[in-house]
Amino acid sequence: MSTARRPLVLTAMALAASLLLASCGSSGGGQGDGKTLKLWHYEGADSAMGIAWNQAIAEFKKTHPGVKVEFEAKGFEQIQKTASMVLNSDDAPDVMEYNKGNATAGLLAKQGLLTDLTPEVTKYGWNKLLSPSVTTTSEYNAAGVMGSGKWYGVTNFGEYTMVYYNKDLFAANGVKVPTTPEEFTAALAAFKAKGITPLANAGAEYPAQQYLYQLALTKADRSWVNAFELYKGKVDFHDPAWTYAVDTFADWVKKGYIAKTSSGAKAEDAGVSFISGKYPIFFSGSWWYGRFKSENKFAWGSFLWPGSKLTLGSGGNLWVVPKKAKNKQLAYDFINITMKQDIQNALGNNGGIPVAASPSAITDPASKTLIENFNKISAADGLAFYPDWPVPGFYDVLVSATQKLITGSGSPDQVLDQLQKAYDAGVPTS
Amino acid sequence: MTTAKRLPALTVIVLGAVVMVLPLLIVLNNAVKSPGDYSAHGPLALPHKIYLSGIKSFWTRVDFGRMLLNSTVISGSVAVIGVALSLLNAYAIGIGRIKGRTWVLGFFVLANILPQESLVYPLYYVAKQLGLYDTRWSLIIVFSVIQAAFGTYLLSSVLGSFPREIIEAARIDGANSWQVLWRIVVPVSRPTLGVLMVFFFIWTWNEFLLPLVMLPSNDNQTVAVALGVLQGQRLMDATMTNAAGLLGSLPAIAFFLIFQRTLTRGIAVGAVK
Repeated sequence: MSTARRPLVLTAMALAASLLLASCGSSGGGQGDGKTLKLWHYEGADSAMGIAWNQAIAEFKKTHPGVKVEFEAKGFEQIQKTASMVLNSDDAPDVMEYNKGNATAGLLAKQGLLTDLTPEVTKYGWNKLLSPSVTTTSEYNAAGVMGSGKWYGVTNFGEYTMVYYNKDLFAANGVKVPTTPEEFTAALAAFKAKGITPLANAGAEYPAQQYLYQLALTKADRSWVNAFELYKGKVDFHDPAWTYAVDTFADWVKKGYIAKTSSGAKAEDAGVSFISGKYPIFFSGSWWYGRFKSENKFAWGSFLWPGSKLTLGSGGNLWVVPKKAKNKQLAYDFINITMKQDIQNALGNNGGIPVAASPSAITDPASKTLIENFNKISAADGLAFYPDWPVPGFYDVLVSATQKLITGSGSPDQVLDQLQKAYDAGVPTS
Repeated sequence: MTTAKRLPALTVIVLGAVVMVLPLLIVLNNAVKSPGDYSAHGPLALPHKIYLSGIKSFWTRVDFGRMLLNSTVISGSVAVIGVALSLLNAYAIGIGRIKGRTWVLGFFVLANILPQESLVYPLYYVAKQLGLYDTRWSLIIVFSVIQAAFGTYLLSSVLGSFPREIIEAARIDGANSWQVLWRIVVPVSRPTLGVLMVFFFIWTWNEFLLPLVMLPSNDNQTVAVALGVLQGQRLMDATMTNAAGLLGSLPAIAFFLIFQRTLTRGIAVGAVK
């Protein structure tokens, strides 16, 4: 009997295995026949980019009858962690959103995983739509350093930092909205005198270092930024700009403009505390704009950091075309559609910052201010990127440095030494 | 008197249970809250209105039904194949007492403690060479082996103390090795195998890194990876993340509840011995 049962078991196992095989069949990716566009991006479906790009997909289908668009919504982390592996395989998408910067797009370009878009850029005239400080993040040289070389990506949108303020809290406490640096510190002092901590901050994530970098930028110029971000010159953290930044930051903590308890807070906490009306001022990026618009229950506005020609910001994330993409021409066509006026206008009307919209087509007044401020900064070559860009791992160094300033466990001088050491160790030598 | 004696132990258990359940309750609380409500009143306040759009839109956004199917196929296959492999290995080591079994066991332990991060690139290249990249098979094979490494280690020691008399009696009755395994060892250690299967299933279900790396296309992704889709570059959607967390943990909890009798039985068998 036992021998009779054995074949039965074997058959059952074979059957199970074949079932598995059948259910695990190949994913059926399209071959390079000009009939499918494989597109990946990681913007939320209801964000400005998500809405505008959806419209672009519809437009693409209209102009390319018979072409199937295989769109997959990805997570930021997912693309960040797996890009080099996916792009090196036959499953690479035709066009993909990717994070700009030396450590991301620059690295992929250096590894030869991205298509050089320079011919297309001139052919379609994308370079004419973008201002110089926006294009910095699209070009990478052979070492993967941004700012010069070939075009490996094209951006659709911009981003920058601004001072968000709660108009109701300003009015209720009789504080004047500042337009100069002196008025700004006076406003901070006025709130403090009323027992309100004025600045929403998060020491465990990017907001604290953005305050610090913005303070340095008030005393800096373009060549200072180029030295720091693009390695075009010597960087001394004990120079007047950085010294002013750490001293002022430490001073603001001491005076209570920045809460000591914010050292462990996350960006989400800072944003939510601004939305719930706990803090009157939050200095952060345009990526908060849409959320504030839908969730703030008070009158609010934004202005550029008083007395500074430079502010944090850059071109947005890039469209890149992987080297192994099968339908590159379709990818170029799609990118070109996203650069067109109507898609750009859609971006602008949904709280994003388009790079090539026609100002008259932006109907929402709040969005109009947002975009005008960006254009002002961008036209004056005032986008100074982000402080964590120049060297790998600098983000964590900046977090630890600002936390020291907030808790008082390190003097401004020690903090500058720490930054200098990390910067010098990480800066590319070639 | 006995209740008085039990009181301290009971208090500790209740406290422990509260600590374990609290995060789940917070997830549930925020999963049914609107984003505006969350921003205005924080994560701990009760929702002012039950809001289910977060759960619904997450479901459609990532095609959650498909993710469930993928995760079930992968975890289920790994549970079965992993236990089968462990059993065969452990039979040779624990009962067959092959030469150099300490070394073999040592090797398995080593494979077990190796961090997955160090395996990512080799696995990626091999999968690509074999044409298994971006297929669910790649994960089934990899995880079956990884889980079987632990299973072999555990089962070997269990089978090492298997009563030899039963096996010898079977041998005298003329049973061959296969029959001893199939008719004696498997029925007797069934509770242990059940426990292993449940563990393998839940561990594989919760895996994140390797599915993330090996399954780039959305069609093949697992539940754990789908949850990561919500991780924005600078912003997080707290309420939708909670909705996703709720959806993601429910199947594992359901699976545990269904098989908890197997678990307790397996542990009880060990206790009697």
